[in-house]
Amino acid sequence: MPHPNLSRRQWIQRAAGCAALGTFGSLGAAERQARAAAPDKKFLFFFARGGWDATPLDPKFAADGFSAVGGTDMDAGTVLGQSGNLTWSSGADRLAMDTYFANWGSRTALVRGVNVHSVAHDTGEFWALTGGGEDSRPDWPTILAASGSTEYPMPHLVFSGPNYPGRLGAAVVRGGGGSLLDLIDGSLNGQLDENAPSFDPTVDLLIDAHVRSQGVRYGAGRTGLAKIRTDAFLSSLDRASELEGRQFEAGLQDGASGLLDQALMAAEVMRLGLTRCAMIQIPGGWDTHGGNGAVGGQLDDFFSALDQLMDQLARTPGANAEWLADEIVIVAGSELGRTPKFNGSMGRDHWTYTSMLIAGAGVQGDTVAGETDDSFLALPIDLGTGRASGAGVLIGTEHVGATVLTLGDVDPQPWIPGVPAIDALIQGA
Amino acid sequence: MRTPALLLLVACGGGDAPRTSVDAAVDAVLSPRAQLIRLSLDLRGVRPTEAELTAVDADPAAYDGYVDAWLRDPRFGDQVEDLYNPVLRTRTANTYEDPAEAGIDAPSWEVAASVGSEPLKLIRHVVEQDRPFTEILTADYTLADPIVAAYWGLPHSGASAWEVVRYTDGRPAAGVFATNTLWHRYPSAGLNANRHRANQLSRMFLCDDYLSRPVTFTREALDGLTPEEASDAIHTNATCLSCHASLDPIAANFYGFWWEKGEGLAVNRSYAADDEGRWSEYFPSPPAYYGAPVSGLGELAADLAADPRFHRCTVQTVLGGLTQRDVDGEKDWEQVQALTDVFTESGFDFRALVAAIVKGDAYKAASFEDRTGERIPVVKTISPRQFSSYLVDKTGYAYTVDGADLLREPELGLVVLANGIDGEFITEPGYEPTVSSAFVIERVAQAAGYRVATIDLNRAEGTPAILLGDVAISDTPDTNAAAFEAQIRNIHLALVGVPLAADAPEVAERLELWRQVFSITSSPTSSWAAVLSATLRDPAVLFY
Repeated sequence: MPHPNLSRRQWIQRAAGCAALGTFGSLGAAERQARAAAPDKKFLFFFARGGWDATPLDPKFAADGFSAVGGTDMDAGTVLGQSGNLTWSSGADRLAMDTYFANWGSRTALVRGVNVHSVAHDTGEFWALTGGGEDSRPDWPTILAASGSTEYPMPHLVFSGPNYPGRLGAAVVRGGGGSLLDLIDGSLNGQLDENAPSFDPTVDLLIDAHVRSQGVRYGAGRTGLAKIRTDAFLSSLDRASELEGRQFEAGLQDGASGLLDQALMAAEVMRLGLTRCAMIQIPGGWDTHGGNGAVGGQLDDFFSALDQLMDQLARTPGANAEWLADEIVIVAGSELGRTPKFNGSMGRDHWTYTSMLIAGAGVQGDTVAGETDDSFLALPIDLGTGRASGAGVLIGTEHVGATVLTLGDVDPQPWIPGVPAIDALIQGA
Repeated sequence: MRTPALLLLVACGGGDAPRTSVDAAVDAVLSPRAQLIRLSLDLRGVRPTEAELTAVDADPAAYDGYVDAWLRDPRFGDQVEDLYNPVLRTRTANTYEDPAEAGIDAPSWEVAASVGSEPLKLIRHVVEQDRPFTEILTADYTLADPIVAAYWGLPHSGASAWEVVRYTDGRPAAGVFATNTLWHRYPSAGLNANRHRANQLSRMFLCDDYLSRPVTFTREALDGLTPEEASDAIHTNATCLSCHASLDPIAANFYGFWWEKGEGLAVNRSYAADDEGRWSEYFPSPPAYYGAPVSGLGELAADLAADPRFHRCTVQTVLGGLTQRDVDGEKDWEQVQALTDVFTESGFDFRALVAAIVKGDAYKAASFEDRTGERIPVVKTISPRQFSSYLVDKTGYAYTVDGADLLREPELGLVVLANGIDGEFITEPGYEPTVSSAFVIERVAQAAGYRVATIDLNRAEGTPAILLGDVAISDTPDTNAAAFEAQIRNIHLALVGVPLAADAPEVAERLELWRQVFSITSSPTSSWAAVLSATLRDPAVLFY
């Protein structure tokens, strides 16, 4: 029978006669233990599918703050917004950007002139999140999730938006609502054509323990791929079992649909130690070939949600730090930029240089890293200062990835060999 | 440490399988029984019967005979479809147009399942009819069931089965490239000018995805470029030309399928020969296939069918599908080339290709020195569709809501949660167990276990049992210990396919599970459901 003082996971592991935790992919328990001394930062990724306009976060105005420059068209009615070192295109249709930067500019960094190495959505998305082109590469949140110092029941929770698990698929849980929740609480079986009663929770636990025991026996002595798969099997059982026991604590049964709801739920499951990373798609039609007019409103919605999220994080006690804002990193971006000049439909086509936003724990706030010229072509930068330098390097998604992994205390070299982080974005680097 | 009893060391490859250095690197193959389980799941989607397993135990050489027989099994066609769905990605939850416009009154999942299967059924038909595999690109017919026929306006006998039919709108003979489904799945808009479709042709059948090529513009080229000149750059800039010089002339072949959004089903299911020449509105040069001028889609497809790169790509696709790995044209060159020779010399016989793969040691590997396991499938993971077939075969149970098998139809999202693909957002299957796949298997096993226990323990006398034929509802381990042990062993044998050893701990553990559940529920049905559920979740079921 389950012991009243043990968690579901502990009980199942003991019942199965195995105290060792399973692991994902190639990451071993020893590696995790070595990292356990430093509590993990958590990462909340926002992704604007379609290729967002990079100019609002990298505005090109003349010195007067509102006149046009030759190489780049700015949206009608916009002027230069500024808070500290940060600048953006401000306008009546995107007032929430002003509010956000006024409130959180000191904790926010902008990255400009990031090369996504493609003008195609699919490829740009892959490069933006993995820094490379091979199919087997996991994306940044998956790597971070699989590299946590502790086992998370839902290491990388994909609410919406892209996911490239590569060889670390066991770290990924897709779907923040809907079928997954019905599966977790077993209610899906009540909706079947042949209604199947749920097991009593204690019976469920006994079966889980038995299955784990089968898994341990199956994996004994296996090596290579067979060991990787068996470890993933055991790990998935452990995490599923823990999630079954904690679903109501996390409020998962309430579901989440909108951007802010999803972000707040992500923050909550991070606070509870259920998740290290989450991915949320930023709503909106960002592929603006046919007209750029809706971009301001979409940015307003996004920054309004971001402002409320940051406010919540700053007022919620953290698990490992005083406030959640001190342990969660926000990363927002897209798979492409858009042409600096409007096309014939007053829209923008695809461009290889994009802008990103990074904020929160460990991020050097009030910082801009990367530069583009008036024609929105990237300039080489000094990675230490983030400013243009003839002796510097042109940055791409791989540099942003190295930076994000470094923020998460993960060595980027095995994943993107030879690519340095942008130190200007990291506190104390 | 390996278990010697489960291994059979062999000195050479079997039958007509080419032997390569990859086969030579295998230091142990699976036991004959395990080989047959892998083979059966891959060729039939179900596990072997005990009679088949016993036969191969007695004569391991019988394996090759099973290969040949099961390649003729009607269920092999399902596996052919499953091999090609991750390539074509047409099985989605999408119905594209409004089924009501075609007078179809069926659930959307059913419409999506039928429509999404059109090109896959064509491929299956070519294989089943022993036609050269190249015919998938040159056939002057397609396959339709009544839903597809009504949807695309095709003549059909009205029988429920899929049958060969022909479009009547004058479209060229181009196999899957002449199916409406493929081009609804891969639409193209004005600025894209059919390039998306051209790239899909290359990705699917040449294993060359243009989008995987990194784009690096030289600074000089960019500095000299204004946005107004961008459309010209694809014809003049060297970086752009590296893709567009070959991509655009292929794209120029698809203007017969140049459907505009909102035109309605009647327009968007018809091939418009009059539009074939509209390529000239978008491209300066006429339709071609890698430098060779072509007269249109039919000739393009014929050229592709004759292209050795297509033959190699077919091998990569089938080898990758059967071994659950990314086959690399360079890293795996020797193996791919040896199999391509078999495929070519057989007259593009798909079955001969599959036979050559599954008879090789690499396919049968139980152990391989390459610790990454990348090149050899020492263990494979059952797919959601295979699990569904297996479940129906062993228990007669399908996990359905409103008739839709949740392990097969992507509409309700369970397929993706179980590591399958939905063809649109998730296009690569997962092979490592995840939290969500653990939940899917748990809930499915729970439901199947309850159903079998409920039916078997309440069956009328003389009615055959599904799995619980050794015990009665009134039996307990104390009143009929021998029957309980026999029942647990027989469940394991039926579901896993491997007999439990005399001293196997599973017997005592499952007996204890039964007792514990009974102590909580006082229900023999729940207790046997628990044992069945646990056995269905055994990794020996989920891995093969």
